[in-house]
Amino acid sequence: MKTIDLTLKIWRQKNNDALGGFETYLLRDISTDMSFLEMLDVLNEQLTAEGKIPVAFDHDCREGICGSCGAMVNGIAHGPVKLNNLCQLHMRAFNSGDTLVIEPFRSRAFPIRKDLMVDRSALDRIIQAGGYVSVNTGGGVDGNAIPISSETAELAMDSAACVGCGACVASCPNDAAMLFTGAKITQLGLLPQGQPERKERARAMVTQMDKEGFGFCSNERECQAQCPKGISIRSIARMNRDFFRGSLFGE
Amino acid sequence: MIHNFDTVIVGSGGAGLYAALEASARSKTAVLSKLYPIRSHTGAAQGGISAALGNVEEDSAQWHAFDTVKGGDYLVDQQAAMILTEEAIQAVYDLENRGLPFNRTPEGRIDQRRFGGHTRNFGEGPVRRACYAADRTGHMILQTLYQQCIKNEVSFFDEFQVVDVIIEDGSCRGVVVVELATGEMHIFAAKAVLFATGGFGRIFKITSNAYANTGDGPAVCARRGIPLEDMEFYQFHPTGIMGLGILISEAVRGEGGILRNRDGERFMERYSPTLLDLAPRDIVARSILTEVRAGQGIRGDRRIDDYVHLDATHLGKEVLDAKLPDISGFCRTYLGIDPIDAPIPVLPTAHYAMGGIPTDVHGRVVIDREGTIIDGLYAAGECACVSVHGANRLGTNSLLDLIVFGRRAGQHIAEYVKDAPAPRPVADADEFARAWIDRLLDGADGPHGGAITDEMQVTMMEKVGIYRNKADMSVAVDQIQELRSRYQTVRVQDTGSRFNTDLLELIELGNLLDLSLVTAVSALHREESRGAHSREDFPERDDDTWLKHTLAYLEGDEVRLDYKAVDTSIWEPKPRTY
Ligand SMILES: Cc1cc2nc3c(=O)[nH]c(=O)nc-3n(C[C@H](O)[C@H](O)[C@H](O)COP(=O)(O)OP(=O)(O)OC[C@H]3O[C@@H](n4cnc5c(N)ncnc54)[C@H](O)[C@@H]3O)c2cc1C
Ligand code: FES
Repeated sequence: MKTIDLTLKIWRQKNNDALGGFETYLLRDISTDMSFLEMLDVLNEQLTAEGKIPVAFDHDCREGICGSCGAMVNGIAHGPVKLNNLCQLHMRAFNSGDTLVIEPFRSRAFPIRKDLMVDRSALDRIIQAGGYVSVNTGGGVDGNAIPISSETAELAMDSAACVGCGACVASCPNDAAMLFTGAKITQLGLLPQGQPERKERARAMVTQMDKEGFGFCSNERECQAQCPKGISIRSIARMNRDFFRGSLFGE
Repeated sequence: MIHNFDTVIVGSGGAGLYAALEASARSKTAVLSKLYPIRSHTGAAQGGISAALGNVEEDSAQWHAFDTVKGGDYLVDQQAAMILTEEAIQAVYDLENRGLPFNRTPEGRIDQRRFGGHTRNFGEGPVRRACYAADRTGHMILQTLYQQCIKNEVSFFDEFQVVDVIIEDGSCRGVVVVELATGEMHIFAAKAVLFATGGFGRIFKITSNAYANTGDGPAVCARRGIPLEDMEFYQFHPTGIMGLGILISEAVRGEGGILRNRDGERFMERYSPTLLDLAPRDIVARSILTEVRAGQGIRGDRRIDDYVHLDATHLGKEVLDAKLPDISGFCRTYLGIDPIDAPIPVLPTAHYAMGGIPTDVHGRVVIDREGTIIDGLYAAGECACVSVHGANRLGTNSLLDLIVFGRRAGQHIAEYVKDAPAPRPVADADEFARAWIDRLLDGADGPHGGAITDEMQVTMMEKVGIYRNKADMSVAVDQIQELRSRYQTVRVQDTGSRFNTDLLELIELGNLLDLSLVTAVSALHREESRGAHSREDFPERDDDTWLKHTLAYLEGDEVRLDYKAVDTSIWEPKPRTY
């Protein structure tokens, strides 16, 4: 088993009102088979043993599904490996002697709650603005199976893969949440069930996005590069199309 | 702070959200969840949701119900199983209408695939019954239901952790809750409360369950005199990634993946000649462990953490990329291997609780063998026990359970609250919770919870795991009791009030310890082998004595056991062979 020694510079902040700052910690003999979060667990055990307060970070499934985890590692959302959530990053990506700067996802729309935890409820509010299909269900059985081509279903599925981690926002120089919103709009906009409200949906969700203080896309493509689910910026184009149609002909 | 609602749903996984969706159509509904809704563990379900649509080959709800009963080793309540499988079909169509992107056949219909234990014509051979959205079925269900709840203007209270339930004069009056952001304690007064808090895999060392799966609902109920049903039946999924417990979905075997021992032998041919690698989970998990114990694991050292291979190399890149993209990704990420080139090292991992809070088919909580009900108290999803999974759940039947019984509970609640008395806030309802939390936070010197968690998980894994016997389990009960008394001295390091995740984790540990005790005691007393409960000292199923559900009452430090009848009104119990 290979082990490495690391210097961690971690952002510590008691709560959103408090001042934050970096603290430096040394960790020895970290196995390269460990995941990044397991490495933080080790640090927290060490801190607890010393009677200090452990570093707060979000996590739950630890298998890249729930979208809870996330941090900037040396300035990159979810760290240096592509198509990974932070919980899937492994220490084999680092070398002994490395210094890792670990910070929360930063954005005007994501207030810091504690240490590495941020409040991403702005993303939920974008969904609340219209990210759903209004239908009546429970009718006759067979007529309900709407035929959908497998290609369309797959495209919809690719956008629906978004776990709402917020890496797209954190890596965008403008703080935009376009990839997130685009993915949600694309998923529903591609399916026949989502057609009736398509334009109104885009208009409402984009408006909410602005209200939350997210910025605008200037085509930097950082979001696509850092998205753990590989969602393509084509979904932003689809959103823009629906949005412009919605604002021209909507309401 | 005191809040008033008609309906309070605790938990925002598939079960909670479906119930909320139905209840909110006709009542003022709040959903309390310790996680953000879309982060609930339902999102982890990869394989699919079963329904006898008959889209790709002939199928029927009756066959599905039979498989469910047989898979559950006849401990399933059979009328409930019929409801599950008959309502499955409409449930899937409803989900698709609401925008869920299922995989499609070339003709554009919902595609279906094979899953363990699902057969055609009462056991003749495997049938394609699982509807799926790549390997992200649960994620899609969660997103779809969340969107629909928002449309219905459900009030969401995210990161609110329920720590107690208020029951007075045989009816439920609300819940006591801690808000993570502020540390403040809230009382939610309600006419109806539904628990949908999911599983409790965290009582075991190696598990596919997320950190939040700590069984809060069952533990809270148990401390208020409600029995827990069939807790000794805990499913180990045969294929967790070695060392981590992260799941490799059964879909890999559904698509043709094969289990092999160190000689490369397809050993399931010996244990289950008909269904082979797709035999029910308890059988496959035991087969793997039997191989490992016989020195046929890949290392061959007979240790409990030795493993076998899941071989998917022959499936081809196309199948893996199109149908199992996440799984390929998992292997590359966690193991640094590609399933196209190399077999996946797997071993069984603690996965699913068949037992839980006893309910009837409307989700109402029943508290004894006579079927007495607590007015206004409901449960659904993994934390509940209807019982449709009996001694062993079939793959893809859990998502189905959430949808069917989540919906039924929601509908019943909507009716019930119409005439139910207005919620009355109860004075001092939060007394018990306050005392508990004050102690944890009083700043006194005390050990941290970490060591207790670890010891509990190891004890449960080794002594109340896949193979069980009296000697081991008696030791386990004593050890858990000892850990429970040590728990009385633990303290939180961080005594702040805002985002005190440390505090909430310690509360969860208290829940896990109580559930470990109930599980171990229930298992110790069931002297037979049935489904997931496999006794080395009682290797046979014993219908004469044990064809009955366990009801375990946690009374202080004691567990009192009672039993109730199983509904076998459709199919006579038969030996279970595959
Ligand atoms: C890796 C994996 C793969 C699976 N694959 C499949 C599959 O393919 N098919 C299938 O049918 N089943 C599958 N299962 C099983 C199935 O996913 C679960 O049984 C099911 O999702 C549980 O849903 P639930 O709604 O009961 O609970 P969950 O989705 O676990 O949700 C529980 C909710 O309760 C909340 N909660 C918990 N405690 C509290 C508290 N104290 N206060 C407030 N809120 C609380 C949580 O925040 C959460 O919202 C899988 C399970 C796992 C682990
Ligand atoms: S912890 Fe769930 S995605 Fe990382």
